[in-house]
Amino acid sequence: MQKPMKLGILTCVLLCVLGLFLLSNNVTGAAKQTLTAGYSKAAPTGLDDPLWGKIKPLEVPFDGKEIFAGKKTAVTTKAVFTDNEIYFWFNWKDATLSVTKEAWKFDGQAWSRLKGDEDRLSLLFEINRINNFATKGCAVTCHVPPGAPNAKEGKFGTATDAEKGDLWHWKAARSDPAGYADDGYLAKISDTKGGRKGDAGKGGDKQNMTADKSKPMYMLAPGKKLAKNNILLAADAVEIADYSVFKTGDVVTSRMPMAAEGSFGDIKAVSRYADGAWTVILSRKLDTGHDDDVTFNPQKKYSFAMALFDDSKDQDSYDSEVLTLEFKK
Amino acid sequence: MTEAQSETTEQEPLFAAAGGGLAILLKVEVPADAICWHRFFGAMQLALLCLLFLSGGLMAFAYTPVPGTAYDSVDYFQFSLPLGNVVRGLHHYAWNLLLIVMGLHLLRALILGAYKAPRQIVWISGVAFFLVIPLFIITGDLLPWDQKGYWSTQVRFSIIASIPVVGDFLVQLFRGGSLTGIVALTRLYVLHILLLPCALVLLIGLHLYFLATRGISGPLSDDEIPRPKALFMPTIVNRWLALFILTAIGMGLVAWHWPAALGDPADPTDSAFIPRPEWWVLFLNQLVAIFKGPFMVLGSAIIPGGLVFLLGALPFLDRSPERRPSKRMGVMVAAAVVLAAVTVLSVMGYVEHFVRPEH
Repeated sequence: MQKPMKLGILTCVLLCVLGLFLLSNNVTGAAKQTLTAGYSKAAPTGLDDPLWGKIKPLEVPFDGKEIFAGKKTAVTTKAVFTDNEIYFWFNWKDATLSVTKEAWKFDGQAWSRLKGDEDRLSLLFEINRINNFATKGCAVTCHVPPGAPNAKEGKFGTATDAEKGDLWHWKAARSDPAGYADDGYLAKISDTKGGRKGDAGKGGDKQNMTADKSKPMYMLAPGKKLAKNNILLAADAVEIADYSVFKTGDVVTSRMPMAAEGSFGDIKAVSRYADGAWTVILSRKLDTGHDDDVTFNPQKKYSFAMALFDDSKDQDSYDSEVLTLEFKK
Repeated sequence: MTEAQSETTEQEPLFAAAGGGLAILLKVEVPADAICWHRFFGAMQLALLCLLFLSGGLMAFAYTPVPGTAYDSVDYFQFSLPLGNVVRGLHHYAWNLLLIVMGLHLLRALILGAYKAPRQIVWISGVAFFLVIPLFIITGDLLPWDQKGYWSTQVRFSIIASIPVVGDFLVQLFRGGSLTGIVALTRLYVLHILLLPCALVLLIGLHLYFLATRGISGPLSDDEIPRPKALFMPTIVNRWLALFILTAIGMGLVAWHWPAALGDPADPTDSAFIPRPEWWVLFLNQLVAIFKGPFMVLGSAIIPGGLVFLLGALPFLDRSPERRPSKRMGVMVAAAVVLAAVTVLSVMGYVEHFVRPEH
């Protein structure tokens, strides 16, 4: 019995090895960039955490459209997840720090708007499957031209009620100084209504403008400091009582980031602009418990796409192809 | 007579028959090595088939055979229901392992000459599994409605269409139209969960019946020592149950740690997607790649079909009672050549599709 038993055991081992080798799940697929989120017990402490050095980067190519048509850029992307959260790390070259967003400037006589927008980065995931998003990305979400009746609420959306996207929108001037990225969602677009909505809760930015739209209404409150990149936060603003305190050349934020609450503030942001490049970390709970957010299950793969705005309006962007996000422990 | 008494009387023959059947089974003796350390491939096949039936049955509760929604229902089952990933993983890994075990079972029977008289019919019914099981995989592949399943099915339809005379008819029969859509999905689903399981159960029954009536092959030794016997119930049944439980636990652990892949949802407009063949069809894929154009049918039907035919006809081609491999060099060499060809073609396919894929 000894010999057959050994033979039997050997066969079992052989079967297991064969099984593991041959039955690997990586047997099918096609070309599509995959961002692999590495696991870490501890959350990264910031932009310079050595943990980021250990994570394999993915160089994601972006193609420009509208005013950037024909141009290309790239974003180096990394991702890490802990037991509860996911962290995305982005780095891209940008010759100019753009946080103007039509800020007010005083010329000694009157106030005027500075020309310039802001740098932005957006990500779109699926909450409920968006038909063909996994293969065609944002191209399958309906975009409408500026000025269309349904352009007011966000210019794009999904084709049916069953389809729903999770939109992460990092804004260098309007959300980042308050430490978050706008958390929105994409719903069905109609003839009269756009499909881009903000998540439940509070956030976004507050207009700093008098009723006659001629000058700013708020200034930095005494004892407060301007936030990152000299942005005035809504929480630190006070109504201007005496406009004579301003000197020629003074600049005041026109869109003041507000503190985010509820689902709208789920995505935390940390950033730095240095040496002609942005480095941004966006983080969020894997499961926020909110209906307007994608729930990340580390056993699952997710399709997502990104867009980059270089001091530009919504229609002028650099877009990525659709990517896959996977988790690896 | 009261109603209760009447029911008891009607049930008595049934109980008596069941009791009688059990009593017979409890007395049945079979060779002690029917299931043992060095002979378990057949028993394992049955265990894997049971696991496939169980896991498939559970998945059917959540499945919706409608393009698009089918993907959502599989996604929901796997990632939102408790142990969904284990059940789907079990189904996925079990059929992969089943193919390996079937191959090893056949190889063992071939080397030990188990197809020889009086077990020819056992062998033929065993070879028939190689016709039915791949049909399960082919029909099941489309069900998740993901890119891989959809485009693999498209490739298979084009291969089937290359079969002369009946090719187009078969494709129409499966697809039900010019496009692979809801009709194709419904037809393949019905085949996968209804018609093929019926055929398989029938085949399993026949195989076991032939095995019981013709006997299992004995050892190769010439000595006349009588084979040790064991009671079918409970000894052999318990061994099978132990094997089933071990297989289920092993497969379950693999499925837990390495969930079955669920690719992107199918996009019938994305013709740029080129599905990579699965490991078990790599050699067939290479055959089809070698014989192009009008000769495609050689690789897609004639050679594979001819091999299965030869395999089935083996007991009638090799009629001598000699079972020792060393005395059957002709069969052994032929088998080695076929095995080597399958291996070489598979390696070629692996290199082409996985090591240096152009897509």
